[in-house]
Amino acid sequence: MATTKAYNPFEMARAQFDKIADLIGLDAGTRELLRSPLREFHFSVPVRMDDGNIKVFQGFRIQHNDARGPAKGGIRFHPHETADTVRALSMWMTWKCAVVDIPLGGGKGGVICDPHHLSAREQEAICRGFIRQIYKNIGPVSDVPAPDVMTSPQHMLWMMDEYEVLTGGHYPGVITGKPVGMGGSLGRKQATGYGVVYCLREALREHELAPEATTASVQGFGNVAQFAIELYHQLGGKVVCVSSWDQEDQTSYSFRRNTGIDLAELQGITNRYGGIDKAKARELGYEALPGDAWLEQDVDILIPAALENQITGENVGKIQQRVKIVAEGANGPTTPEADAILEERGIFLIPDFLANAGGVTCSYFEQVQCNMNYFWEMDEVLGKLDLKMTAAYQAISELARKRKLYMRDAAYVVAINRVAEACRERGWV
Amino acid sequence: MASWQLPVYRRQLLNHATGPTRIGAGDLGGKASGLIQLREDIVRRLSPAETEGIHVDVPRLTVITTDVFASFLSLNHLDDTDWDGLSDRRIAGLCQAAHLPAMWIGDLRSLTEWVQQPLAIRSSSRLEDALAHPFAGVYATKMIPNRRLDPDSRFKHLGAAVKFVFASTFFAAARDYRRAVGVADHPEAMAVVVQEVIGRRHGSRFYPDLSGVARSWNPYPMGRAKPEDGVVNLALGLGKQIVDGGLSWTYAPNRPAAPPPAAGPKDLLRNSQTSFWAVNMGPPPLPDPLREEEFLVRADLAHAEADGVLDLLASTLDPQTGRFRPGCHGDGPRLLDFAPLLQHRLQPLNNVLRRVLAAAEAAAGQAVELEFAATFPEAAPPRLGLLQMRPMAVAEDDILVTEEQMEGANVLLASHHVLGNGERTDLYDIVYIPPDGFEARHTPRIAAELDKINRGLVAAGRPYLLIGFGRWGSSDPWLGVPVAWPQIGGARVIVEATLPGMEPELSQGSHFFHNLIGLRVLYLSVPHRGGQSIAWDRLQQLTAVQDTGLVRHVRSDQPLSVRVDGRRRRGVVICHD
Repeated sequence: MATTKAYNPFEMARAQFDKIADLIGLDAGTRELLRSPLREFHFSVPVRMDDGNIKVFQGFRIQHNDARGPAKGGIRFHPHETADTVRALSMWMTWKCAVVDIPLGGGKGGVICDPHHLSAREQEAICRGFIRQIYKNIGPVSDVPAPDVMTSPQHMLWMMDEYEVLTGGHYPGVITGKPVGMGGSLGRKQATGYGVVYCLREALREHELAPEATTASVQGFGNVAQFAIELYHQLGGKVVCVSSWDQEDQTSYSFRRNTGIDLAELQGITNRYGGIDKAKARELGYEALPGDAWLEQDVDILIPAALENQITGENVGKIQQRVKIVAEGANGPTTPEADAILEERGIFLIPDFLANAGGVTCSYFEQVQCNMNYFWEMDEVLGKLDLKMTAAYQAISELARKRKLYMRDAAYVVAINRVAEACRERGWV
Repeated sequence: MASWQLPVYRRQLLNHATGPTRIGAGDLGGKASGLIQLREDIVRRLSPAETEGIHVDVPRLTVITTDVFASFLSLNHLDDTDWDGLSDRRIAGLCQAAHLPAMWIGDLRSLTEWVQQPLAIRSSSRLEDALAHPFAGVYATKMIPNRRLDPDSRFKHLGAAVKFVFASTFFAAARDYRRAVGVADHPEAMAVVVQEVIGRRHGSRFYPDLSGVARSWNPYPMGRAKPEDGVVNLALGLGKQIVDGGLSWTYAPNRPAAPPPAAGPKDLLRNSQTSFWAVNMGPPPLPDPLREEEFLVRADLAHAEADGVLDLLASTLDPQTGRFRPGCHGDGPRLLDFAPLLQHRLQPLNNVLRRVLAAAEAAAGQAVELEFAATFPEAAPPRLGLLQMRPMAVAEDDILVTEEQMEGANVLLASHHVLGNGERTDLYDIVYIPPDGFEARHTPRIAAELDKINRGLVAAGRPYLLIGFGRWGSSDPWLGVPVAWPQIGGARVIVEATLPGMEPELSQGSHFFHNLIGLRVLYLSVPHRGGQSIAWDRLQQLTAVQDTGLVRHVRSDQPLSVRVDGRRRRGVVICHD
């Protein structure tokens, strides 16, 4: 597994931005504005723990840019959360919303905590305390949080409830990712994984590859990976390898079956965190290989859909010659060094903030539905999602083709130009 | 039929794409294949001289291929459903509640983003294509106005219509039909054609000036006409009027000005079309996605005249002379005889139709049936849209029926008006409407009872002889029994008789005829004024299997002998029992 020791996401986010700012000749004022968040809120959340003691948790909400609309981004619960991580993620949210052309800006939040060691009541207290500190600075028309790492629809519901208690009204649009029936949207579960495959489908068409003649290897077996596999199978493709984290062994494994994996079969032996039961998988005829093996498979498509920083300068050389497309389901799975090599090798990349933008797009739909208090059917949600994702892919791919840009660069050009334009039109710069 | 490859539907090319495209990678089904063949082999080869200023085309279309249907079933866990135990409404409801496959839904959605004109959502069955069986009228077609400003509503209607067509694959009539033609064990798969509706908008209605069905082989040649002269049926408005067996104008394309036989102006008026179908562009109706006619309306001739479309289609009865004058003049009754087109040739429609029909027959290598619609706008060239092409199976066995045989002993019925050609000796069952007590007002109930009896006979594998009054398959219950074809799909010999008070012209329903011909069903008509009669007393003596009062099902111990001589237009049914 790749190391994350020297990895500062905010530095990386800025480096990516600077590269594109140079490419498009962004003026100094706009460049300076967009290199940093517009607003940051750092606060303390005191919680009475189950043992009667008070513990103070550190929270953040960072709004990178809201020139195109209310800030949008998740709230993470993570023991190693840092302000720089949240800054970087809020910046990436700005670009992600812009690249799929939804009227939202970028934000992110986090609490330094480890939910594995907190009771449900304690987690609820953190959620409510978080909102008490920030409720004046978020809202359906200013900043709309969502679930993220180690936060769930239940956490969102507690937060929404606290917000409504404090403001004295019903504002389901203040937060997205809520359970269906409590202001959540149908299709939200599927949205990110399906979005990856909508982009992949267009890439296959563009490269005149018949989906049924392709194979893929997927890193991760969580929500994004499972729905991506589901739709890719519907498209006619065959996934031959998936990897997943083994909590017991504290390492990951890749599960391979050359005749193709059976999604339902694997889901039947997977725990709720996406961990596949190694022994049962072997009984079903899967080879249990080292965690990195997913990257080395002789396939046409790689879908990293687990964590950031997975395809690096060290392991990128293990990617087989046959690989034609990398579709980034996770955030930041490829380091800049690896990126340069993929580009050099002519491997077609669908960058993360385009490929996995299905989630935020559906969150936007949820917010729209909440604001009008009228909820759509599944067909409606997925129909709109497909349109948005496909249109975004086509715009970026067209720009990449015309200007001979790497796809990630093309996506950044589109996104940064849109945000810069909004700032200029508002008269900020 | 040739296997056609269509380009994939591409959203970024929407504004430029006029050729047919496909969504999905499966089969196109019979209807879609016929349409593509029409476009490639016929329309594109017509020269400007041949079309004489009429714009001839196949309306723009996209085909949702059969793999989308298969995905729809499997993703919604409908593929192992026992449809036999479910009502049609329940089946339609199940399909409406199911989701369209996520992989293709964006393409459908994008269609509604840019198309804002009425669409026909049409079934295109794989079996129809693979087995060369006519499935006309068995599966659903739904038209949607697709006019609302909000693309969400348009998408909702399109999705509901596609699901309705999917559901129709499993409706009782379709299941019975597949059993009746012996393909119940073949896997059926449904493609769907999403096609522009030809027409013009007139306020709250959208409809073509005329629709029609042209056949290059005429199973009912009238007067001096020969079967190979062909026949054309024309109607005002949507073609549903014809395919449902409503009144239409019939003529031979080589003699377009010759009127059909009639006993005078009143007879002509009584047997001509007086109302028509249109797409409802007005206020949305109460939602009912389970109903095929949800977005259709019927209107009468006065509306069409107010819309300005009758001038080319109608004649006016001059009360002074008792004759019809082509066009609309004064207050006299209007007759939809298409005289301005067919007699005065104000547009060369018939010439173009004849050429298209000949080209289609040559391309198919056999007799064909074409469905079409046309508009004659003032500010643009006339347009003839070709909507369907089906090969027609024409029986060719040489059966001789003599006058002597028609008058011999044991004759149950004989006829000089027959359709088809051949003989059968495998029928024991007869289902008939007893003449005593028959009243036209009972025909809807009769249709329902026939449906039940037919279902039982189909399930038992017993073909039968069917005898009734008026026009089988008429949409007007006062002109005959309003059955859909599948409700009598097990009948292999069909008799239309008349009674005083129930003597319309014989069946004109396009789908009805097509099924008769395609399935080689023998048809005899026995008008009570025609010199022939039915031996009702013989029927009465046969053992009754079921007698509902309105319909009687009897069985003979000996097989019936049915002989139909298509060339000499004679037919006879002999019962040896």
